[in-house]
Amino acid sequence: MNAALLRSLLGREWRHHPWRHGVALLAVALGVALAYSVHLINASALAEFAAALRSSQGEPDLTLRGGSDGRDGFSDALYGRIAIDPAVAAASPVVELDTYALAADGRRVALQVLGIDALRVAPLAATLLPRPAAHESRLALIDPDNVFLNAAARHATAARDGSPLALQSGPAWQSLRVAGSVAAGGPPLAVMDIAAAQQRFGWLGRLSRIDLRLRPGRDAAAFIARLPPGVHAVAPDAAEQRVTKLSRAYRVNLTVLALVALFVGAFLVFSVVSLSVAQRTPTFALLGVLGLTARERRQLVLAECTLLGAAGSVLGLMLGGVMALAALRLLAGDLGGGYFPGIAPRLHVDIAGAPGFAALGIFSALVGGWWPALQAERLSPALALRGLGAPESHAPPLWPGPLMLAGGVALAFAPPLFGLPLAAYAAVALLLFGGVALVPAGVQGLLALLPAPRSALMLLAVQRARFQRRTATAAVAGVVASLALSVALTVMVTSFRHAVSGWLDTVLPADLYARSAGSASAAAQAWLDPAFVHAAAGVPGVLKLQASRVRALSLSPGLPPVTLIARPLEPPAATLPLLQPPRAPAAGETGLYISEAVAALYGVKVGDVMTLPLQTLHSARLQGRVLGVWRDYARQFGAIAIDAASYRRLTGDNRVNDLAIWLAPGAAVADVQARLRSLLPAPSMVEFAATATLRSLSLRIFDRSFAVTYYLQAVAITLGLVGVAASLSAQVIARRKEFGLLAHLGLTRGDVVAVVAGEAAAWVAAGTLIGLLLGVAVSVVLVFVVNPQSFHWTMALVLPGARLALLCTSVLGVGVLTAALSARGAAARSAVLSVKEDW
Amino acid sequence: MPMLQLEGLGKSFGETRVFHGVTLGLGRGEFVALLGESGVGKSTLLNCVAGLEQADQGRVRVDGRDLAQLDDNARARLRRAHLGFVFQAFHVLPHLSVAENVALPLLLLGRPDAQRVLQVLDAVGLGGLGARHPAQLSGGQLQRVAIARAVVHAPGLILADEPTGNLDPDTAARVLGVLQAQVQDAGAACLLVTHSATAAARADRVLRLTSSGIVDA
Repeated sequence: MNAALLRSLLGREWRHHPWRHGVALLAVALGVALAYSVHLINASALAEFAAALRSSQGEPDLTLRGGSDGRDGFSDALYGRIAIDPAVAAASPVVELDTYALAADGRRVALQVLGIDALRVAPLAATLLPRPAAHESRLALIDPDNVFLNAAARHATAARDGSPLALQSGPAWQSLRVAGSVAAGGPPLAVMDIAAAQQRFGWLGRLSRIDLRLRPGRDAAAFIARLPPGVHAVAPDAAEQRVTKLSRAYRVNLTVLALVALFVGAFLVFSVVSLSVAQRTPTFALLGVLGLTARERRQLVLAECTLLGAAGSVLGLMLGGVMALAALRLLAGDLGGGYFPGIAPRLHVDIAGAPGFAALGIFSALVGGWWPALQAERLSPALALRGLGAPESHAPPLWPGPLMLAGGVALAFAPPLFGLPLAAYAAVALLLFGGVALVPAGVQGLLALLPAPRSALMLLAVQRARFQRRTATAAVAGVVASLALSVALTVMVTSFRHAVSGWLDTVLPADLYARSAGSASAAAQAWLDPAFVHAAAGVPGVLKLQASRVRALSLSPGLPPVTLIARPLEPPAATLPLLQPPRAPAAGETGLYISEAVAALYGVKVGDVMTLPLQTLHSARLQGRVLGVWRDYARQFGAIAIDAASYRRLTGDNRVNDLAIWLAPGAAVADVQARLRSLLPAPSMVEFAATATLRSLSLRIFDRSFAVTYYLQAVAITLGLVGVAASLSAQVIARRKEFGLLAHLGLTRGDVVAVVAGEAAAWVAAGTLIGLLLGVAVSVVLVFVVNPQSFHWTMALVLPGARLALLCTSVLGVGVLTAALSARGAAARSAVLSVKEDW
Repeated sequence: MPMLQLEGLGKSFGETRVFHGVTLGLGRGEFVALLGESGVGKSTLLNCVAGLEQADQGRVRVDGRDLAQLDDNARARLRRAHLGFVFQAFHVLPHLSVAENVALPLLLLGRPDAQRVLQVLDAVGLGGLGARHPAQLSGGQLQRVAIARAVVHAPGLILADEPTGNLDPDTAARVLGVLQAQVQDAGAACLLVTHSATAAARADRVLRLTSSGIVDA
C-alpha cells in the first residue's frame, strides 16, 4: 500500500468526518482503558499482597505447618528435631495468631500477632526482628511484657513507644507494653517473644510454624518425607498462590466485564467504517478503474482500522493508568471483591503488559472493519461508477447467524477450562455475534407484522427500512450488543440480589446478632466464655439465644481454610438455605452440611463421608457424612455447618463466637445490647448488629460492589446509540438526493424527519427486540454457567420485567430521537442543493 | 387565470446577477419549452417557480397564489397538490415498487387510488410492471415512471428539467410523446427546460432565458 495514497485518502476522509471517526477512536480508547485499568488494579493488588506476605513470613525455603487450619500448629518438641536436622541450615519457630488490640479510643483493632525467637528470626525474616525504642534496654526484645508494632498497627491503635497495649486472648485482655517497632509492612502486625506468646495466648508447648532454610545441595523432598504425620511443608509463596488462584476467576470476570466496552467499540467501528465505505463507493470505484486492485482496497480499509485502533489504544492506555490510580485511591485493590483483605495497594504500572492491551484495541478495530473491508474489496468498479453495484448488493450469507447461535448454545454446556468459564464467555460472544447477524431478518420479521401502509410517510419509512435492512445491521449492531449486555447484567445482578436477599432471610432469623471476631481465623483467639453465654440467656429482654462456634479448617494445603460453623441445626431445612431437602443421618453418624463452594472446590457431594482435620476427644480427625449442600454467599472459600451439640460432644470445645438473640416482646434492642455488654470483661469484646442493620448493610455492600456494572451499561448503551447516530447521519448525507426529491414532491421538513425517524424506529425496534432476547439468553449463561464456574454458587434466574421494559423503552426512545435529530440536519439542508446536479 | 404567472422575477447570488426581469404567463394545457445557455439560471428559475428558492425581485403566482405570501410548509403543500416534476436523473425511489412510486403523490394528498395508478401506468406504457422495482427497469422505463408520478395526481403545472438528457434519441422521442400526451390529457401547463432542439420542437411555444429576461426563441 502506497503511504502517500493512504495519507491522501484517509486524511481527507478523517478531516471531513472528524467526529464520526473520533467517536470510534474514543470507543476503542475506552475499551482499552477499562481493560488496562482492571489489569493494573489486579496486578497492583497481587503485588502488594505478595509484599505483605513476604513481610510477615520472610523468605524461607520452606515453612512447616500443621493442625486443623494450618495454623493450629504442632508440638514445639518438633523444633528441637528440626533444628538439628543435617539438612537444615537455619530454623525459626513462630507462633502466629489473629486477634484484636484495644486502641486508645476503646475500639478493637484486628491485627496479627507473631511470637518469634529473636535470636533465630533474623536470617529468615529480617523484617520481623524487633527494633527496641531508643530508651529501651537491649534485652527488651525478649521481655515477655513487650510487644513491637509495625507501622500499620501503630497507626490503627494510636499506640506509642512505652504505652500499654491490650491484646485479646479468649474472653480476656492481655496487658503488654509497646517497646519498639518492626520493619514489616502490610496490615497491622505485633511481634513479641515466642515464649510470652505461647504463655499469654494459650499456645504453651505448641508452635504455629517453623520457617527454615535448607543447606545447599540438600534434597528437600527427602527432608519433607521425614516429617511426622500432621506436619506439612509449604512453599513460602503458597499463600500468595492460593489467593492468586482463588481470585483468578474474579479477576478474569472483572477483565471480561471491562472488555465489554471494547466489544461494543468493535461494533461501533463496524458501523462507522461500513458507512464510510458505502459513502466512498464512487471513490473506490474510480480508484479501481485507475488501477487500485481489489486487495489494495481491502488493505486501505484495514489500514484505516489499524490506525484508528492504534490511536485509540495509545489514548486508552494513558486513560487506563489514570483510571487505575483513581480506583485504587477510591476503592480497595480488589474493587470490593474481598480477596485481598487489609491491602491498600499503590499503583504498579505494568509497562510490559501495555503492548498486549494495545494489540487488543487494534484487534477489536480490525474485527470491526473486517466486513466493510471485504465489501470494499468485492465491489465492481464499473457498476459502482454507474451508481449500481454498491457494496450492499453483496448480501451476506444467512447461515452464519443461526450457526453462531447454535454454537453459543452448545458452548454454554461446556465445562470450565483451567478452572475458568472460558467456554461460557465464548458462548456469550457467539450469541452476540449471531444475534447481530440476524438483525436484517429481525427487521424483515418485525415489518411483516405491520399492516400495509396507507399513508405516504408510513409507506416511505417502512419500505425503505425493509429495502435497506442489511444497512440496519451496521446501524444498530452497537445497540444490539450493548442492550444485550445491559439486559444480561441487569438480569444477573437482579437475580443475585434477589438470591442474597432471600439468603439473608434464612441466615438471619433472630432480632439481634453478636460476634466475638470478624473472621474465622481471629475467632480462634477472640471467643466468648460459656459462662457469659449462660448469663446472657438470662438477661431481661432475651427470649431465646443460640450460640455458635466458628473455626478455620484447612482441608487442603493448596486452598485457604474453610469455615467450620457449629450451631444448632434443628431442623436443618429451616436453619440453613439448603439446595435440596437434607438426607437423613444414619444412627450414630455425624451430619455435615457443606456450602456450594466446598462441594465445588473439594469435589464433595451429598452422601459422601468427609474427614475433617479436627481434634476430637478420641481422635485427631472428625468423620462425618454430608447430608446437605447449602447456599453461602458470605464465605467464598467454603463453609461447613455441623450441629453445635454434636460438635461440643465430639470435641469438648465449649467456646462460643457468635450469638443469635431473639428478643422478648417489647424489649428494646439498645437496652438488651447494653445489658449484654455489661456482662463482658470489656464492652468492645463483642460486636452487636440488629438484623435490619445487618441486612441493609449487606445489601448496601452488594449494591456498591455492582455499581460499576451500571456505569458500564451506561457506557455501552451510549456507545451503541452513538453508533446509531453516526450511522444515520452518514446515511442522511448519502440520501440528500432522495430528500431533495421528497421536498419536490411536497414533503415538509417535518415529514422528512418523520420518515427518517420511522425507518430508524423500525430498525431500532428490531435491534431492541433482538438485544432483549439475546440479553436474556446471555443472562442465562451468566447465571447458570459463569457464576457457578467462577464463584461456585448458584441462584435462581429473576427477570425484572419493569426494569427491562424501562431499559428497552429508553433505548428505543433515545434511538428514535437520535435518528430524528440526525434527520433534522438533513431536512434543514436546502432541498435544492440536494438535487443540484440535475437542474 | 394563468396556471403560472411570473412578474419581473430577478435573482442574484451575492454580486452575481443570474437573471432579472423575467415575466411569463403559462395557461392550462400549454406546453412551453425553455432554452438557454448553461449557467444562465434555468435551474434557478425552476427552483423559484417551485418555491424551493426565493427570488430577490418580482413575484411568482401558482394557480393564483403568491408564493412570497406562503411559508415553507404551505409552499410544500402547494407543490404536493399543484406541481409535478420530471428530472433528468429520474429520481425514482429504489426501495418502492413502480406502482408505489407512482402512487406516492396520491398518498401524500391522502387520496390513495390504485385504479388511477394502474390507469396512468397503462397510459405511459408500463401496464403490468407495477410490481417491479426500479432496479429492474431500463432508463426509458424509469423516466416513464417519473412522468406517471408527475401526472398521477393531475397537477396544474408540470416542471420538467431535461427529461430526455440521459436517454438515446429514440427513447427520448417516445418519452417526450408520453409527456406531451399526459400534459394534454391532464390539461396541465408544462414548462420544459431543455438543450435539445428536437425536444423543444414539440412545444407550443419556445422561449429562451437570457440574463435580462425571457424572449421568444
